[in-house]
Order: sequence, then structure tokens, then C-alpha cells
Amino acid sequence: MSEVSVEATGETVGEAKWSALRELERLAPGVDRDAVRFQVVSEGERGLLGVGYTPARVVATATRPAVALPPEPTGPAIEGEPAVARALLERSLVALGIAGTVSVEEGDDEVVATVSGHDLGVLIGRHGQMIDALQYLANAIAHRAAGEDRRRIVVDAAGYRARRAATLDSLARRGAEQASATGRRVELEPMSSVERRIVHEALKDDPEVETESEGMEPHRYVVVFPRRTVD
Amino acid sequence: MKGLEELLTWIARGLVDEPDAVRVERIDEGDVVVLRLHVADGDVGKVIGRHGRVARALRTVARSAGARGDRRLQLEIAD
Repeated sequence: MSEVSVEATGETVGEAKWSALRELERLAPGVDRDAVRFQVVSEGERGLLGVGYTPARVVATATRPAVALPPEPTGPAIEGEPAVARALLERSLVALGIAGTVSVEEGDDEVVATVSGHDLGVLIGRHGQMIDALQYLANAIAHRAAGEDRRRIVVDAAGYRARRAATLDSLARRGAEQASATGRRVELEPMSSVERRIVHEALKDDPEVETESEGMEPHRYVVVFPRRTVD
Repeated sequence: MKGLEELLTWIARGLVDEPDAVRVERIDEGDVVVLRLHVADGDVGKVIGRHGRVARALRTVARSAGARGDRRLQLEIAD
């Protein structure tokens, strides 16, 4: 149980008590008036013709009623996805010694953070490993702060995602052509789950083939099968 | 390099329940610099992640940052 106390002044001790009580009721609604303890700090001096006047001063203390307890703050302050993405990328640029800027575009279920600048190769990394790692970490931090109800963060740099999506799309189509021409399964190179999804999507309406993911992370890959004909 | 330690500390703090316990220790081993990430006992799982995905991403960040310098950077998670 916590206690709350206020100090108040008035022309008389009685007035000081009243204003202390009002203040207490404002701070702790529902406080039990009868349980309030007063301590008179100063009786005050009436003075003469306004000279030498000092107000009466009291301290009132009460136990805060349980129902009126303010909610305890839970965990660290929730930062939104745009703030998380921006902070992570700006700090990454500093750590990598790259001059660049970060812009964030917010959608209903996606937040796209794009890095622009020269020499972004290190930020993208071989096969996009670095940019995918940053994207994964941005999502993990946002997830920790906001839980399930949050938007997906996409990290992009120098048009990387569009270029990579075009590459994956043509890789998928070539795999499909090969699978249906030979009647055999075609294994594509290992990809991240985001990239595998792009491949599955690219071929999901293809009447000739079906796709599945096989293997263990981080070497999981898409397999393209010729579609089995229904007898 | 200092920037990398700060970056890893910041990321780890965003992932754990006890951010004050996060510390990155730097150990020079000649050609290799080992960055050892310390977190509270209860938070080790958070910086490793499901199927080790968080740890892998953290290692990728450390390695990529090291690619700029002349020494290899390695991230270890202390337990």
C-alpha cells in the first residue's frame, strides 16, 4: 500500500486542512476522509493590517485506496516499427562507416525502410546476407516491443529488393521450364524464407509445376516438380 | 569498430528483458577480434532465437562490419 501526502496552506489551520483534503482527493480519488492524518507544520500568523502575515501550513497524509492505484508501466516504452527500423539502419551506417540516409514509408501492414547513398555494397552483403540479417533483427526488435500486433518491416537499399525479386522470378521460371521439359524435379539454390516465398508465389498459378521447400535452414531451398496429372 | 560494438549492444538491448545486463566484451586475438556478447542468464535464448536465427543474424552483422577492416570479426554469445 502506498501513501500519498500533500502540503497545503490557508489563512487558518482549518482552511489549510480543507485545501489539503481537496488536493488529496484529486491525487487519490476515493481516499477515505476519516483515515486522513493531518500534521500542522505552522499555525500561521494573522499579522496586523497585512503586515507579518504567514499562512497556516499543514501536511495531510492518507493511504492510497487500492482501486485508485495508477497502472504500473509495463516493460520498456513501445517504439513503433518506423522508429525501430530507422534507428537500426542509421546505427548500422555509422558502424559500417557508410554515408547514407534512411527514409521510411508506412503502409497498413508493412513498413519499408530504404537506405540511399553510395557504396551500399557492404550494407547489402553477399547474396543480400547483411540486408536480410538487418531486416530480420529489425523485425525481432519490433516484435519484442509490440508483440504479434505489428507491421512487417522490409529493409531495402539501392533498389536491391526489386532487383532481387526480378532475379528470383526469372530463376523460378527457368526452373519451371526445366522441370516440365524433363519431367524431373529441379532444386533451386538455398534462399531465405522471404525469397522462397517470392519463388512459391511466382509459380503458384503455373499449370505445369508445383513447388515445395526442402532442407534445413540456412540451406533450405525450393524444389520445382512437374505437376502430377490427375487420372 | 567501436561503432560495431555499440550497434551490437543496441540491438541486443532491444531483444532482451534486462537491457542493463547487456555488455559486449572485445577480445583481441591477433588476426581475429572476438566480440563476446554478455546478457542476463534468462535472456540467452532471446539473443539466440528460434533455430539460432537471431544469433546467425547478429554474426552476419559482425562479419560484414569486419569485412571493411583488415581483421576478421567474430561474435560469441557468452553463457
